[in-house]
Amino acid sequence: MEKYFAIAFFVISAIWYLSYSATRLDRLHHRVETSWANLDGLLQRRAAVALEIAKSDIADPASSLLLTAAAHQARDAQMKARSQAESGLSGALGLLLNDGHFVSGSIEKDLLRELSELTDKIRIAIALHVDAVNRTQMVRAKPVFRIFRLAGSAPLPVTYEFEADVL
Amino acid sequence: MTLKKLRIGLVCPYGWDTPGGVQSHVRDLAEYLISKGHYVSVLAPVINEENSPDYVTSAGKPIAIPYNGAVARVLFGPIAFARVRQWIANGNFDLLHLHEPAIPSISLLACWAAEGPMVGTFHAAAKRQKAIFAIGPILEPVIEKLTARIAVSEAARETLTEHLETDAVVIPNGIYADRYRDGEVLAKWSGNTIGFIGRFEEPRKGLSILLDALPIIARFAPDVRVLVAGPGDHKEVAENIDPQLRHRFEFLGRISEKEKADFLSSVAIYVAPNTGGESFGIILAEALAGGATVLASDIPAFDSLLGHGQYGALFQSENAQDLARVAIDLLRDDEKRRDLSRKGKDYAQRFDWDVVAEDIYSIYEMALVGSSGVTLSSENRAWNRFLGREGN
Repeated sequence: MEKYFAIAFFVISAIWYLSYSATRLDRLHHRVETSWANLDGLLQRRAAVALEIAKSDIADPASSLLLTAAAHQARDAQMKARSQAESGLSGALGLLLNDGHFVSGSIEKDLLRELSELTDKIRIAIALHVDAVNRTQMVRAKPVFRIFRLAGSAPLPVTYEFEADVL
Repeated sequence: MTLKKLRIGLVCPYGWDTPGGVQSHVRDLAEYLISKGHYVSVLAPVINEENSPDYVTSAGKPIAIPYNGAVARVLFGPIAFARVRQWIANGNFDLLHLHEPAIPSISLLACWAAEGPMVGTFHAAAKRQKAIFAIGPILEPVIEKLTARIAVSEAARETLTEHLETDAVVIPNGIYADRYRDGEVLAKWSGNTIGFIGRFEEPRKGLSILLDALPIIARFAPDVRVLVAGPGDHKEVAENIDPQLRHRFEFLGRISEKEKADFLSSVAIYVAPNTGGESFGIILAEALAGGATVLASDIPAFDSLLGHGQYGALFQSENAQDLARVAIDLLRDDEKRRDLSRKGKDYAQRFDWDVVAEDIYSIYEMALVGSSGVTLSSENRAWNRFLGREGN
């Protein structure tokens, strides 16, 4: 009799553990998605600001062309090409802003301030997203999660390659 | 800050009415957020409920347990857990901000019980500890629920990365820098003076190390005086001081904020010989903002706050001879002292609440993306339903 109790206890705890683990993983996937949504939103805003900068007096015609092209590319890019396109935009913005020329006019100053605030936020958003992705990958690599296929059909999240130094 | 008003729940793990860095950080943050028009509720262990402000909800009386080399006044257990769950269920919060969620406390319980946008701030900076490695696997699934993590210093961030393999954004603790900006230089406190602020009776504040160093300092700077400010029974401490040195000591007792500003502007050196148990070292940030030349022990929190010696001098912790050596150096070199104090004052502006709270708020905004508020986590919901406590 005792043996059956022991087995029942074991089975129940195993079921509980599996359901608990599945919830845990589900939550992680959720974190990956929301942190991506956040990053994506910020990047879209940056592309919009970049387009405005391209139209303003800050940019000379040549840089304006370069910036417009980069911003459009970043907005249209598919998921896979996204990080490359965003790095391209960072590079174009860097080229324009790092030569240290003096910016006059309040609208231009506002634009640049908004850009630098966005850049700070993007840096944090990347860190949050990368952390969520790493965590998820780590948890999914554990034997229990693999054997019982706790991830279901959710695709394995990929790290967003973003060169933080060009920001 | 945006116009949207949030409902924010802050959880403070340590007893609200015992003084400490984490508590004052939570209090200042709560008051800052309230002044910006947000709804804030703080859940904390409270000893005396009558004296606590309206925004504090008591989770019960704290119990003292030894943790991490100091006595921590925290709270946990089934009754506390029930209160935490109730607070979360009734609070209808948009976001929870948990302080020090990796120690056994109501912060950890809240992290366990809740689901939704949660931000955790890690204060402690400790060396590698086997105990934490052992409980790591238990903490991991809980800590991983946090949407974003904040560490108050580089040292705290390293501790977190080492122990729990997770990264954090560094946002320092806040001070009201403008309170200390314009202290007056008072003649009674200036000259060759060494200032000390804090509960001097506590061994970890390190007054005894300063006492040991004083004979050596006095040999090179005969007119040196030590000014000690802070609550405590100074008669008892004074009796233990070598009679020949006693006249060099002046105990000021508790001082007001205005006096503190003057004190920091006046003293030649502000010394912090703490031996450990310090999470951030807010007093050092205040001392820097007040334009004092800071000399501190090289414990991780201080080392990181002072930029590894860039904004204040460091000495080897618990080494009175080293303290004396650096102090004499500074007392003799006016140029170096002025240089450090000027650099320190500029640097301290980044600890101002206006900067710090803005940074914290932008983390909140990121955590809030795509969320519909904080609820009890699904495991706990099932458990509540099972016990017939639905809608609690």
